[in-house]
Amino acid sequence: METNETNKMLKAFFNEQKHEIADNGFSAKVMQKLPEQADHSWIVGVFAAIGMAISIYLSIVLGLMQHALIIMQHVPYYYLLSAVFFFPLVGSVFVFFRQDKHYRLI
Amino acid sequence: MSNTDDIRWVTQVALLGDKNAFDKLTCKYQSSIRRFFLNLTMGDGPLSDDLAQETFIKAYLNISAFKGISGFSTWLYRIAYNVFYDSARAQKHYDDIDELVIDNQHQTLNEFSAEKMDIYKALNILRKEEQTAVLLFYMEDKTHKEIAKIMNCPLGTAKTYILKGKEKLSVYLTKVGYGN
Repeated sequence: METNETNKMLKAFFNEQKHEIADNGFSAKVMQKLPEQADHSWIVGVFAAIGMAISIYLSIVLGLMQHALIIMQHVPYYYLLSAVFFFPLVGSVFVFFRQDKHYRLI
Repeated sequence: MSNTDDIRWVTQVALLGDKNAFDKLTCKYQSSIRRFFLNLTMGDGPLSDDLAQETFIKAYLNISAFKGISGFSTWLYRIAYNVFYDSARAQKHYDDIDELVIDNQHQTLNEFSAEKMDIYKALNILRKEEQTAVLLFYMEDKTHKEIAKIMNCPLGTAKTYILKGKEKLSVYLTKVGYGN
């Protein structure tokens, strides 16, 4: 038999037998049996809080906050509005094209 | 879900010990790993679930050893392969399997018993290495290179296993009239 035909036959045979197995609590059982190890995910929150505190402290101490507020008072409100809408818009376009490319790759 | 997700979840588990990230990995790969074991154990559902559970626990404990050179899936199958062969060696599983036992297992333990009879009978004519390589190639869609990594053998050897398995299976399936 031709190699291609053999391949096709075997692919068809195995595809017929290929079934997805429902989880039916398997993952939950695995999670229960995992040995206890320290969960360090709280570190992310701590670092975020520390970073936030430092940036707020510096902005107050160095007067950046006041400076920014003064600037904001002189900026027309429609500039601010357009700035607020600009980033989500650019972000959405970026995500849209990135996802589109991703699906095409699959 | 892409390989990028895998890397992100692996990083979360390895660096932060985040169990939720590992749960996502388990949910994603449970079906393929359990199916792999189910076929290797000739349809022994409870045994294949035990082996799959051991595989995921070993993966969790050794996740920092994952270097990301091959995909997470390949790495997981490598662990599964080792778990299966360790278990087989320990229980002399190969020697104990005979056709009668397999038939009983099909009748009692496997939800797809009638349909699966063919595949187990077909796989049973192969050597264990050929079974593994053929299952990985045709059932789990792994490449030759990935199979060589999973089975920890040279690429040429993996190709030979697949080729020999393919030849034997094609003769068997033709003989039983498959595809006619």
